Amino acid sequence: MAKLSNDIAEKGLSVLKDKNNGKLIAHLNSCVHCGLCADSCIYYRSMPEAKFIPAKKVDLVSSIYRRYCTFSGRVFPGLVGARDLDEETIDEMVDLLFGACTMCGRCTVHCSIGVDISYLVRTGRTMLSNMGLVPKTLQSTIDSAITTGNNMAISDEEFVETLEWLGEDLQMEVDDDTAHIPLNQVGKDMLYTLNPREPKFFPLSISAMAKVFYAAGERWTLSTKMYDVTNYAYYSGNIGEAGVIAQRLYDEMEKLGAKKCILAECGHGSRAFRWEGPNYIRKPYPFEVLTSIELMADYIRTDKIKLDPGKNPDRVTLHDPCNLVRSGGILQEQRYILKKACLDFVEMNPHGNDNFCCGGGGGQLAMSEYNERRINIAKLKADQIIATGAKVVVTPCHNCVDQLTQINVTFKLGIQIKTVAEVVADAIVLNENENTSK
Amino acid sequence: MNWYQWFSLTALVICLGSLILHAVRLIRLGNPKDFSQPIGKTGSAMPYAFVGAMSPAKKESAFLHMPTYVAGIIYHLGTFLSIFLFFLILAQINFTEWVNWAIAGFLLISGLCGIGILIKRIVKKQMRELSNPDDYISNALVSAFHLITAFAILSPVPHPSYFVFTGLLLLYIPIGKLKHTIYFFAARYQLGCFFGWRGVWPPKHP
Repeated sequence: MAKLSNDIAEKGLSVLKDKNNGKLIAHLNSCVHCGLCADSCIYYRSMPEAKFIPAKKVDLVSSIYRRYCTFSGRVFPGLVGARDLDEETIDEMVDLLFGACTMCGRCTVHCSIGVDISYLVRTGRTMLSNMGLVPKTLQSTIDSAITTGNNMAISDEEFVETLEWLGEDLQMEVDDDTAHIPLNQVGKDMLYTLNPREPKFFPLSISAMAKVFYAAGERWTLSTKMYDVTNYAYYSGNIGEAGVIAQRLYDEMEKLGAKKCILAECGHGSRAFRWEGPNYIRKPYPFEVLTSIELMADYIRTDKIKLDPGKNPDRVTLHDPCNLVRSGGILQEQRYILKKACLDFVEMNPHGNDNFCCGGGGGQLAMSEYNERRINIAKLKADQIIATGAKVVVTPCHNCVDQLTQINVTFKLGIQIKTVAEVVADAIVLNENENTSK
Repeated sequence: MNWYQWFSLTALVICLGSLILHAVRLIRLGNPKDFSQPIGKTGSAMPYAFVGAMSPAKKESAFLHMPTYVAGIIYHLGTFLSIFLFFLILAQINFTEWVNWAIAGFLLISGLCGIGILIKRIVKKQMRELSNPDDYISNALVSAFHLITAFAILSPVPHPSYFVFTGLLLLYIPIGKLKHTIYFFAARYQLGCFFGWRGVWPPKHP
């Protein structure tokens, strides 16, 4: 990289010099370099080199902290492994914090001390973001979201057209001319969000959720102005840009006066809006935020929708998105749904809070420069899937769907990848007289 | 008291003072305000963060590395015991001979566990790449502390070198990674807050 100026370095260091962040200070001072986190990392498991050990990634950030923010690091840098923030360190930070971590948090759960490793990686990314060093590929995704309102830069016309034909499709599917996909309606109970990959590449997952809403008799709407549930600035660590994106959805909720914001099947999007969003914009939401997974589970529990598991006879397994499960607490709902919607549901090993990341998290799918690593680490997931003998892999995350689709092709798994809504929509019984195979 | 006892006592005051400053700062700062709506309870996550989540059955860092984990537990027990004994030695409180031998035996084992962990750090290439001088020094100092304490309690009068060494160790604690004595608890507290707030801990059954 080009010579690092003091001004730019200071922008990065300002993140670590926050003397009021007890959480940051606690985690920056806690790692003892025991190295026992290594086996919890999908990068290290796939490519056993020291640089991929999570503690090494932590040390990239904490060694700079020690150098500039601690007495011992200032006086005895060599003794305590304190590093200057220079060009070499920055190159290493970009390569390892952006290119070798999905921020899945598995190492955090298994750390012998309790260091929040993914939080420190994100802190390192924030430093790089402050210095203008976010990989261009990732930054362009964020720029699209900021400038066009969605990360795939889908025009309003294209979006509306897609929804119109999906609406017609829904009418045929449910055999009801009044069925439709409501747009920009004020005062509905729910505003539903989408991952822009849905209108762009996977429109059937929108149809699926529309069918679920139809069956439940829900009062819902989509917005054409702000429907994007994703927030890639969460991945880049740019708090300001993440706040802009979160604020937009907040504003749209207020404008349309919806009571609940329903987050589409998107792991990081759910996390970024539900958990991080209020902190980005520094205020609580006056509305309820739910994932579509929680909503569908509730529909089933309360008999708002009826399912026939016989419509999904193949063996199904579940991939848990890290941000939704390990960092979002949504663990049982998707299992409850799949047990109701499928005849043969089996778990991966490990699963739930211990599940392996698919390899597509942390913005990896947006950073093509790290494609080779992303595919290398995916072997672990491919092996997990093969071991289940499943024909269908369900995951409540469009990012994971993308990565799993590539895994399917690369490792010739011959499986189908579906969202939870697609499985539920397939199992829905609309007509009480319809034959069921329960 | 002799000069070496005064030295170790002064080092203890400096060490404790420094660690208390770290602890007070962490307590004062607390947990950053979270504006999101919780779906879990941090209160019920906290016991899990400090007990359940630390159990070898729950942590890969433990169950995939049982020899290191067991050595680490014994090593830490030996450290706590050695620190406790330092106070007793300073206060000239004595045990019976067989208790002294039992303690010395345990400290010999815990010291050897520490040395074993140090050897692992030296021998394994990946551990060397992860380590800085402080990692070796901290491990070596604490392991030696166990062994020197063992000798001290077997002696009718502890050798002056015991107090000098202990004083040096106490002065080193706030400088390097040994201050995880304090930060370990802060990190686990923060983790309990984070996972408890989001309903991840205590874990639900899938």
